[in-house]
Amino acid sequence: MLSRLIAVSVLLAGLVAPPVAAMDSKKIYQLNQDRVFQVRVLNRETGKKSSIGSGFIVGDGSQVATNYHVIGQVILEPELFYISFIGNDGQEGELKLLGLDVARDLALLGAEKPIGEAIKMSPLPPRGAPIYAMGNPLDLGLSIAVGTNGGILNQTDDSRILFSGSLNPGMSGGPTFNDQGEVIGINVATARNDISFIVPSRFLNELIEQSATGAFDTETNLKREVAQQVLAYETNYIEQLMQGDWPKLDLRQFKLPGIISPTVRCWDNSAKLSAIARYKRYQIRCANKNHVYLDEDNKFVGELIYEYFWLESKDLNPIQFYNLYENLNKDQIDSKIDRDIVSNFNCQTWFVEVASQELKSNLCRREYVEYKGMSDVLFTAALTGHRNKGFFITLIMTGVDYKSTLPLIKRFLEQTEWKP
Amino acid sequence: MEALILEISTRGLHRYEQINSEVTTIGRALDNDIILSDPTVAPHHLKIICCGESSLELVNLTEVNPTRVDKRQVDSLVTEKLPLNIELGRVQMQLLSRDQAVSATRPLPGKSRRSQLFGHAYWAVILVLTCLFIGGLEFFLNSYITFKWSEMFKYVLRENVLTIGGFVLALSILERLLVNRWEIKQLVTSVCLVYLLYYFMTIFASELGYLFSADWPQTVFRFGWHLLIIPAAVALYLIHISHLKHSRSIILAILIASPIALPSILQSPEVRAMLDDFSSAARYQNNLSSLNWHLKKTIAVEHFIEQAGKLEPGEFAD
Repeated sequence: MLSRLIAVSVLLAGLVAPPVAAMDSKKIYQLNQDRVFQVRVLNRETGKKSSIGSGFIVGDGSQVATNYHVIGQVILEPELFYISFIGNDGQEGELKLLGLDVARDLALLGAEKPIGEAIKMSPLPPRGAPIYAMGNPLDLGLSIAVGTNGGILNQTDDSRILFSGSLNPGMSGGPTFNDQGEVIGINVATARNDISFIVPSRFLNELIEQSATGAFDTETNLKREVAQQVLAYETNYIEQLMQGDWPKLDLRQFKLPGIISPTVRCWDNSAKLSAIARYKRYQIRCANKNHVYLDEDNKFVGELIYEYFWLESKDLNPIQFYNLYENLNKDQIDSKIDRDIVSNFNCQTWFVEVASQELKSNLCRREYVEYKGMSDVLFTAALTGHRNKGFFITLIMTGVDYKSTLPLIKRFLEQTEWKP
Repeated sequence: MEALILEISTRGLHRYEQINSEVTTIGRALDNDIILSDPTVAPHHLKIICCGESSLELVNLTEVNPTRVDKRQVDSLVTEKLPLNIELGRVQMQLLSRDQAVSATRPLPGKSRRSQLFGHAYWAVILVLTCLFIGGLEFFLNSYITFKWSEMFKYVLRENVLTIGGFVLALSILERLLVNRWEIKQLVTSVCLVYLLYYFMTIFASELGYLFSADWPQTVFRFGWHLLIIPAAVALYLIHISHLKHSRSIILAILIASPIALPSILQSPEVRAMLDDFSSAARYQNNLSSLNWHLKKTIAVEHFIEQAGKLEPGEFAD
């Protein structure tokens, strides 16, 4: 009898106990307006803002989370710039760098003393749930944007959440809340039209834990630290690519590596030809989406692009065909980088036997001036020896350890098949 | 002294006057024995007195632009030496003895075996037609959509007729200014030959680049063409067709070829790389050949990756 009474009372208690009430944007704003700041990069000489973003209190109350790209200028020129924060209530002060996660675009900053209560963090709510992004858009003051959770994007190596809401410049580094007022991510980027991106909060937790171990040395050369982080991420990424099975795609007489990772998307890139063209061309372009922000000059690295191009003609004679083929074989890395940033390319040519066919192959490499060990790699290989068939493959990787790319190139060539 | 000859040179043309009398006056005034119309010559500029058996006297008659003999200003000069180089204002002349040796007779273009190509109009016509045919062929080899005759004619008109015609016109004006002659037939032949040589050498350099998997054949061609072949072609033309002296021909050839060569040389990738030692583009061997003749061995993927491991990054710009 007693046990039945207990069971009934527990059940009643469950029914009677108030559920955790979902907050609306107004309540979330009111609750957090003094815990979200504008993070500013100031010029030491003029004292004026050079760039702005947002940040919020985490950890022990003296730590501020933001994006790496918000404070990237300080990494580039620490002697010229410093970081500060200013709150909605007028509280302000200088911040120092405590930790970086360049690959996920996160930075952890520290104030001299606790500046408020840390915001609680929480895992991602279900897809479609409302989420709220706070920040200082366009230096206009603190605001909150309402949207929904679009889920974690596997094409970004799980480092981004799709936010169906509007983020604007200046909101980067601000918190994104669930309807309980807990941080589920950090605002990072927008593609406009209510398509925005959030960094999952688990990466911020990892950064806070890592910084607590003292692994990040603020006295270290920050550019070297950035380079090491990017290289570690990219090397790990390439290793992951190497471990996975590579599905094949067909392009006329070739079977080729297809979507080799969930981070990659492939598109038909064939140019529309005139009806009177005497040749046919087909093009497939695959590219990853998990690029890494490096700095203001270089913008993004971590690109992986591979492109297949097939050309054939029954009507062109070999001289005509090869004139056309040569004119099309001109792929480049699409960047107009300055001499202060990278070296010249060094290129070398080989004739390589791939799937019983001969490919005229070129491999080009250049290195970053400030980020030691980081390279951009361009590999092209064009089919030779056929009267009226042409094919070339282009593989581009940026911001990588050169040696780590060679197994990937090797696998690309080994996985290429010719269908007689 | 026996009768002398005065050679008066104007823009490559020479006029000869015999000096028979004891006293000969030269100047712009109409009462002189030899009249020069150049405004830098004084009305009465120079008097030549044949004094004796073997000597003669030159007497300067003007204070403005006084007479210069063998580059020196003179008031009066008694001499036995011949020939004498004399300058009256900007008119140059030479005083020669009658028995002065003359150079060998140059055969007319077409008369010697070597220059037969340049002597007959039909060669010029054949070469022009060949150039037009090559232009049409070039269009055909680069047309990847349905071939249209009208497009080909437009291309040939634009790329060949206008180019060759433009060069012939410009060079003939130069020739007229230099030697007071028009040698249109020979000029057309020469320009067409140079055009054809350029066309075939471009193809040859490209195939050679593929053969060696290297850039140097095209670099050698680019520089050799502009710095050597074009000036040499102009110089040979001036020596053999315009009959100018070797030294003068070489200097003129360099001057004529420079406006054509310099912009092309400055635009070449090699010079641009020298002037600006940085390029964000990868310069790689993208040329392809239907012949597929290459000296590099075809290697296995394994071997390629092993060699690729030794590839160093390019140099950092200064």
